[in-house]
Amino acid sequence: MPETPTRAMRLGIAGPVGTGKSSLIGLLCSRLTDRLQLGVVTNDIYTDEDARLLRSAGVLDPDRIRAVETGACPHTAIRDDITMNSIAIEDLERDYPGLQLVLVESGGDNLTATFSPALVDAQIFVLDVAGGGDVVRKGGPGIARADLLIVNKTDLAPYVDVDAARMVQEGTAARDGRPVIGLSRLDTKSVSAVCDWVLATLASYDAGTHTAHDPGPMAAHSHTQ
Amino acid sequence: MMSGGALLLGDARLPTGGHTQSAGLEPALLTGLSPASIPGFIVSRLRTCVRVDAGTAVVGLRLLYAGAPLDPVVDAWCARTPSEVVQAASIEAGRGYLRLHQRLTGFATATPALPRPLAVAALAHSWDLSAAELARIICHDDVQSVCSAALKLTPCDPVDTVSWAVAAGDEADRVVTEVQGLDDPDDIPAAAAPEMELWQHAHGNASRRLFRA
Repeated sequence: MPETPTRAMRLGIAGPVGTGKSSLIGLLCSRLTDRLQLGVVTNDIYTDEDARLLRSAGVLDPDRIRAVETGACPHTAIRDDITMNSIAIEDLERDYPGLQLVLVESGGDNLTATFSPALVDAQIFVLDVAGGGDVVRKGGPGIARADLLIVNKTDLAPYVDVDAARMVQEGTAARDGRPVIGLSRLDTKSVSAVCDWVLATLASYDAGTHTAHDPGPMAAHSHTQ
Repeated sequence: MMSGGALLLGDARLPTGGHTQSAGLEPALLTGLSPASIPGFIVSRLRTCVRVDAGTAVVGLRLLYAGAPLDPVVDAWCARTPSEVVQAASIEAGRGYLRLHQRLTGFATATPALPRPLAVAALAHSWDLSAAELARIICHDDVQSVCSAALKLTPCDPVDTVSWAVAAGDEADRVVTEVQGLDDPDDIPAAAAPEMELWQHAHGNASRRLFRA
């Protein structure tokens, strides 16, 4: 029998600035709050902007949303010195017994920041169509090996001259079959797909069959002629 | 010679969340401190709040070696650190050390929270540090927290920040000499820098901050 966990699953949300990490967390909270005991930890580069946005969105009890400052070191805070994030998560677990899922938002930075498996059990990497259709091809550890890749804001694709379906297709090709979801908050089917993925991952975590893994630092790559 | 434990405690790579701290520099700069005044800011801290923290840590270490409770030294530190915001920031920073300590050795303090100098002293106790080593670490960490935060907040040649730390060396030596023999909470230095403490006091409400304190 696999060992079943005794604490909430920790789900990291990483990705560049402005791709919609906070909105995704808002979306997950509003969709899942009736079914799950949730908590949120935000890591802003500048102060508690994201935490305030989520608190004012009214999708979750404000006390269940905690902000961690990172001293302009967003990579460090989720990868090599996870102390302050761990303390914030442990505080939530202490304050809310029965907590099932903690969403940890990275300070949006660039394509290379990923969570240590010592901090989160699974992670989502978020890109958006407005960042350009070529971002997926540029790759990086989060794009290639996060547990889920989200291509966000697909509804904007026509306005930024990007083929969203192709972006999802290229993401799938870059990820050796790991899941990719094209998301628009206006497309209820895509929203449900993300919620279903979170619930399935949580079920696997609760059953003790989920293993946290490291997407890795920037992968070595070569250019072939 | 510095012990291994002392070197670990003096190393910013120790996972205690030190990267979230600016040792009061961000509040000072937000209030209008000129970057040119940072070397003086470092020495001012050594003469005031760092002296308090170093003395607190040394007396705490002595009490721990004697198996005595830390409450009197916690009280002495609180009396010398009047702002509840500054107290809370120090206690929060201390939690990083306590968490590391707990994970390493199962250390659990009867006091649920300790200010940073005493959380460091507890690790120093586990690692058999001397009072002089501990006092040196408290000074070094404060100076280097200011220097490294300066590189984020008001970027300059990092060589300059090393020169500030070197220049503060004599004052740090004086702190170590002055506090290393202390064993009574009443004898902990009580120098204060009210204006700097007010800046830190306001930091809890700052709207665009990179650092926790």
